[in-house]
Amino acid sequence: MFYLLNLLIYAAVDAMACLGLSQQFGVSGVTNFGFIIFQAAGGYAAAILAMPPKSANGGFQSYIGGLNLPFPLPWIGAAVVGGLIALPFTFLVGRRLRGDFAAVGLLVTAVLLNLLVTNYVPLFNGDAGLSLIPTPLRGNNGFSVQSTGYQWGFAVGALLLGALVFLFVRRITESPYGRTLRAMRDNDVVADSLGKNLLSLRTGMLVLGGAIAGLSGGILVSYITTWSPAAWGYAETVVLFAAVIIGGASSPPRTTCRRT
Amino acid sequence: MTVFLASLGFGLVTAAVLAIASVGFTLQFGVTDVLNLAYGAIMILGAYIAYVVNQAGLNVWIGLVAAVAACSLGSVLLNSGVYTPFQRRGTSPITMVIVSLGMTLIIEFSVAAVAGGTSVSYVMAQGKTFRAGGLILTTVQLIIIALSLVVMAGVHALLRYTRLGKAMRATAANRTLARNCGIRTGRVITVTWALTGALCGLAGVVFAMDAGSFDATSTDIFLVLILAAVFLGGPGQAYGAMLGAAVIGIATEVSAAYIPADYKYVVAFVVLLAMLGLRPTGLLGARA
Repeated sequence: MFYLLNLLIYAAVDAMACLGLSQQFGVSGVTNFGFIIFQAAGGYAAAILAMPPKSANGGFQSYIGGLNLPFPLPWIGAAVVGGLIALPFTFLVGRRLRGDFAAVGLLVTAVLLNLLVTNYVPLFNGDAGLSLIPTPLRGNNGFSVQSTGYQWGFAVGALLLGALVFLFVRRITESPYGRTLRAMRDNDVVADSLGKNLLSLRTGMLVLGGAIAGLSGGILVSYITTWSPAAWGYAETVVLFAAVIIGGASSPPRTTCRRT
Repeated sequence: MTVFLASLGFGLVTAAVLAIASVGFTLQFGVTDVLNLAYGAIMILGAYIAYVVNQAGLNVWIGLVAAVAACSLGSVLLNSGVYTPFQRRGTSPITMVIVSLGMTLIIEFSVAAVAGGTSVSYVMAQGKTFRAGGLILTTVQLIIIALSLVVMAGVHALLRYTRLGKAMRATAANRTLARNCGIRTGRVITVTWALTGALCGLAGVVFAMDAGSFDATSTDIFLVLILAAVFLGGPGQAYGAMLGAAVIGIATEVSAAYIPADYKYVVAFVVLLAMLGLRPTGLLGARA
């Protein structure tokens, strides 16, 4: 039973991440090989927002932040950070750079950021990673985080959020804005010549996908209560790509089904 | 000053290894038009083949020859077995990058599955240590630098003075036009895979010698250095890659003397991103 719940939560988290990636890669043709960065950023954001200051627990791990915020805020923060961290990457996806070169730039960024977080201990406790990340609503009366009821609640919550993301992404894809995105994916020169601003479209997609990835990272981290550089190697992006491609790159419903 | 000179020595060796690898990479990309991210994986495959030969009791330099041959063959097979079928169906460059990234993982984890996840190193003598005005280099390091210079001279001679080199340059410049002029581009591309695969194997073994110990994922970071060197000089530009390798190799090792050594790759990373953002055709490439 516990395993099933575990699987449900992982499925919800991964489906969310796949929706974000599918929005970037499948719908708008932005091949984001650094996708895992955004999930990782969301994970760390949720962790440091929810955790107590680093002097707690005998100060056995060092990290920045430690704001000890109550439940919904870390997840919201994760999404916001995921979106914000996408902004510096927009200079890579502008019109001038070939798609595969931009992809290489993002891939290299993913490898290097992992290296930096691994080696710079004060930021997120280095290679050992963060642990004892508070789960939502822990410490409130009447909640035992180990109980099956709590696990069910978490699973339902994650699935609901996943469904919301799905509906949101589908609204975007089927709107006129989504039509513009698909035009850009199919032929960006033509879209450009018709007066569509490729840079702003791609920025929008990077930020949206980043926010979704950040949210998924936040949920994942507050479920497994630990997050370390080993959990977000560049290869994880390939797993998500595989899921998106197997499901059919531009169709949200199928993408969602094929994961886990 | 002594720290600077000592790190300069390391930088020269790294630059030598990097030059072999990035010249192979850039020729491969320029002629075949495949951005083969599995290059690093083939490198480590070569390093392990030399390791197996070395473990069998033979000299590691014999292992190097075996690795060069195996990687050459492996690259040709990789192209004919994986990349060509995709290209024939008109797959876009970006999808080819995904395919090559997939091949990276397949090759690396196959190597890890066979060889195990632990680091290994060659049984070899480092030879006498030479000192010249603060530079300290072992015999092996000098051999690596010499090998690199020989390879650079060989690539130069190949591209400048042979029919094959001219055909390669023509294919790189415009494949359709080259074929219309009677150049067998298919054959040129196969030979390019064999040649660059050989360079890749050579680079893999000297990389492993230089690093001391290695495991199946050791070249992940080194691939970043290769990409930085290639993009600094301009993708497809052999001389650009040589220049880029010299700059990146020396810059990373010398910077390690002044900033924490864990961050030395950041230099390469910043160079790569700056080149991608500002001038994707590289220093020696044509203006976009």
